[in-house]
Amino acid sequence: MNQSNLSQSPDKVSLLISQSWTNTLGNKTGTWRFVRPKYQEKTAPCSHACPLGIDIAKVEMYASRKDYPNAYNTILMENPFPAICGRVCFHPCESACNRQFLDQSVAIHHIERYVGDWGLNNKHAQIDFPEFNGAQIGIIGAGPAGLSVAYFARRLGYRCDIFEQSNNSGGLLRSGIPAYRLPDRILNEELQRLNDDGIEFNFNQSMSMNQLKSLKQYQAVFLCCGDACSISLKIPGDTDAIDGLELLRQIRNHEAPTIEGTVAVIGGGNTAIDVSRSLLRLGAQPIIVYRRSRKEMPAHPHEVDAALDEGIELRECVSPISTEKNSNGYQVILQVMKPGEKTSEGRQAYIPDGNQKQTMQVNDVVSAIGAEKDIMWYNDQWDLSMSHCQMKIIDDLPVFWCGDLTTSEKTVTHAFASGKQAVIALDVLRNHSDTEMNTLCHQFQVGNGPAISFEIYRQGERKQRNNNKIVHFEQINTAYFPNIPAVEVNKNDQDACLKSFDEVISSFDESQMIEEASRCFNCGICNDCDTCRIFCPEMAIQWEQNNRHILMDYCKGCGICIAECPRDAMNLEVEP
Amino acid sequence: MKEVLEGSHAVSEAVRLARAKVISAYPITPQTHIVEALSEYCANGSMDARFICVESEHSAMASCIGAASAGVRTFTASSSHGLALMHELLHWASGARLPIVMAEVNRALGPGWNIWMDQSDSLSQRDTGWIQLYCETGQEVLDTTLQAYRLAESVQLPVMVVLDAFFLSHTYEPVDIPDQQSVDTFLPTFKPRISLDQQNPNAIGQMAPPAYYMEMRHSIQMAMQSVLEHFIDIENAFEKIFARNYGPITPFACDDAECIFVMAGTSASTCRHAIKTMRDKGHKVGLLKLKMFRPFPYQHVRQCLKCAKKVIVLDRNCSFGAGGIFAQELRASMYASNNHPKIFSFISGLGGRDITVDHFFEMFDHTEKVEHPENDSVWIGLNNA
Repeated sequence: MNQSNLSQSPDKVSLLISQSWTNTLGNKTGTWRFVRPKYQEKTAPCSHACPLGIDIAKVEMYASRKDYPNAYNTILMENPFPAICGRVCFHPCESACNRQFLDQSVAIHHIERYVGDWGLNNKHAQIDFPEFNGAQIGIIGAGPAGLSVAYFARRLGYRCDIFEQSNNSGGLLRSGIPAYRLPDRILNEELQRLNDDGIEFNFNQSMSMNQLKSLKQYQAVFLCCGDACSISLKIPGDTDAIDGLELLRQIRNHEAPTIEGTVAVIGGGNTAIDVSRSLLRLGAQPIIVYRRSRKEMPAHPHEVDAALDEGIELRECVSPISTEKNSNGYQVILQVMKPGEKTSEGRQAYIPDGNQKQTMQVNDVVSAIGAEKDIMWYNDQWDLSMSHCQMKIIDDLPVFWCGDLTTSEKTVTHAFASGKQAVIALDVLRNHSDTEMNTLCHQFQVGNGPAISFEIYRQGERKQRNNNKIVHFEQINTAYFPNIPAVEVNKNDQDACLKSFDEVISSFDESQMIEEASRCFNCGICNDCDTCRIFCPEMAIQWEQNNRHILMDYCKGCGICIAECPRDAMNLEVEP
Repeated sequence: MKEVLEGSHAVSEAVRLARAKVISAYPITPQTHIVEALSEYCANGSMDARFICVESEHSAMASCIGAASAGVRTFTASSSHGLALMHELLHWASGARLPIVMAEVNRALGPGWNIWMDQSDSLSQRDTGWIQLYCETGQEVLDTTLQAYRLAESVQLPVMVVLDAFFLSHTYEPVDIPDQQSVDTFLPTFKPRISLDQQNPNAIGQMAPPAYYMEMRHSIQMAMQSVLEHFIDIENAFEKIFARNYGPITPFACDDAECIFVMAGTSASTCRHAIKTMRDKGHKVGLLKLKMFRPFPYQHVRQCLKCAKKVIVLDRNCSFGAGGIFAQELRASMYASNNHPKIFSFISGLGGRDITVDHFFEMFDHTEKVEHPENDSVWIGLNNA
């Protein structure tokens, strides 16, 4: 017993208990331990689902504290353009959010948008690029993938030359996405981030496969030209149909022809929706014509809902078989379709329902059934094949296929991810042998998924994380999280929206953003909640020099800290 | 002021008047009404106390131990399985010499599941170092609870105030509720002899190796041995203010009795009726109602029973393999006295079964017929199997 004192009371009634005025430092309870706690951050499911692998749990933590510089820089580490992604990404992160199993997913894209806009409004758009590393790369195409290649390559010290066949940068961001989803101001301000001596734009310069040989001065070339060729309807009269992608570009540039009355918009993808909603704003009455049913539409369900909410008509299960010009416009003959067998990929196929036909009389027909890459970029022999990019060495020149040329999902975010992955692959190739490629790239993966982390590649703090371990809902200590429904964003007046190309969805205000970011569980990361320290029965967890550490002389390995940790940021390990 | 009160609420009123500062409890029938009323008092401000809701009786007692260690008056109530769950911490409360007061409503333990009167729960805790005081009426419950605080704080030991399930806890009787000023006079503010002190931090109850432990246990026993003396002083002080007195035992018609019934709790009331009838028939019978069970009031019991030839002990409990627990205690206490009476052990009224006047006649008739008590307890009121 350490200097304990047996208190014998002078009173009449005997009172003898064990009592000590020394502290407990002499009692080294650490000797009892056979397992030990460890701070071990893990991967949140949202990060794993994000094509860019953004450290979302950390972004939400900073955002909830109004620490915007850190929130912003955390996003910029993995994503070149948060204000763009916050608007146009289809946020697979939210579908993976653990909070949905408690009440509702966190509205991650709204928070990203708020933080992205904060960066623009506070002139944080510029980024400090490093010294040049002596290497130079060529980029074909100034669309999402090409811009992403330039951003990440420049961050690693490469000089970048971009060749763009149009007269402006942005690619589909500018020509394919309507302004009501991505306003010009946001796009222009975001692209200013690439204003740097090391990034040179060469506009009005198209590039062919044969011309690649003229790019010998580069250490690598990145093909980011996207799916530039619209697919035609291949039915009698299809040459009269307006090309949907071209129409979107014209609308954006205020050069669209006058289109009035009813317009058949043929297709079920995001382009068909974008075209229809744009036409509605120009005063026409679009009708979406799709050969399968609504639930098979490849367009994002949110976008389909928005289009129908705006009053756009959808005609399902009809396939145009001909269009014929007449005095009132066009007569479109439609074949009625019905579900057939499932395809080998499990998708519901549709087959003609006998000989049933319908006709529709419209003023115009727009074809929006998709786009494909130029035939000259087709290739199936690769020297390197990764989730978001592929590489072939042509005459000693590594050529990377990026963006829509190669990704399975053709979204802006996947294109950004593709650019990042290709740049990291090049850097690994230049600094290591290609046999190490797969092992090395595996180390940069976010939770064993397809996303690759720039921060991990650059040996940032995130490298300390156990990236293969994804936090599941069962690991969240829900005792710390009362049910709080998601914050609803304020609705803009729909009637006003339909008369202009003003943004349809408004932003959170600051209090809404903080409330929503505070709903985040911060799965797998330590947000300094201090629960471990408060609950440690031996007071073995100390807070010193802005860091928590465990005094192993006193930690008895009870594991209470781990059981209490609300967000699975600690592990119990067998004593070494 | 007299009010018609449920036995449970007689406890609640006493705790309110005693100005307990921390109340922590987990509900269990038939105790729940006690803490229900107290939680309302805490919520509506008629008590300046903290009511700590917990997830188990184990934690309820832990909360009381923490609060009492910090030097405040505490209260909890429990019953049956809840009390059994507290067992570990009952030892801690007495070992740490904390003057916690608990109301314990006597209820049977399952299985079969039974919420009714039975003494097994409190008697299972007889060796935990708690003072045990058994009550017969609503008034006695209220008075004993007030006395319990003064007693606990005088000897630094916890007190269990025991009342019968339903027969007392849920029965309405007129009860005189004293005014606050009188209670404050009887029960001044608690001044702990030992408590945690932020200005002079210390740990209590840490490791006590063989060289130290035994003296601490001896100290508990010495404190227990002083309880009777304190209890009598406290009752005298109480009587001066409130004009009521119960004693560690309450004899009835014992002066010339040849046969004396011994029991605790509400069955004593029924027994008095039986005794009046038997006296009318010329039998010299009496009753010793046992209020204090721990510490056991040997001297009072021996004094009361010294002239009796036979003693009938009624147990509403059974220590399986040894019979009625009160009977064992009675035998142990009388063995040292010369010419001790023959002690007959009867078990009846388990799990809330009624004990009637006829049952007492049956016990008495049995002792008339039998010269020597049996080794095993005789069960009265069993249904024909």
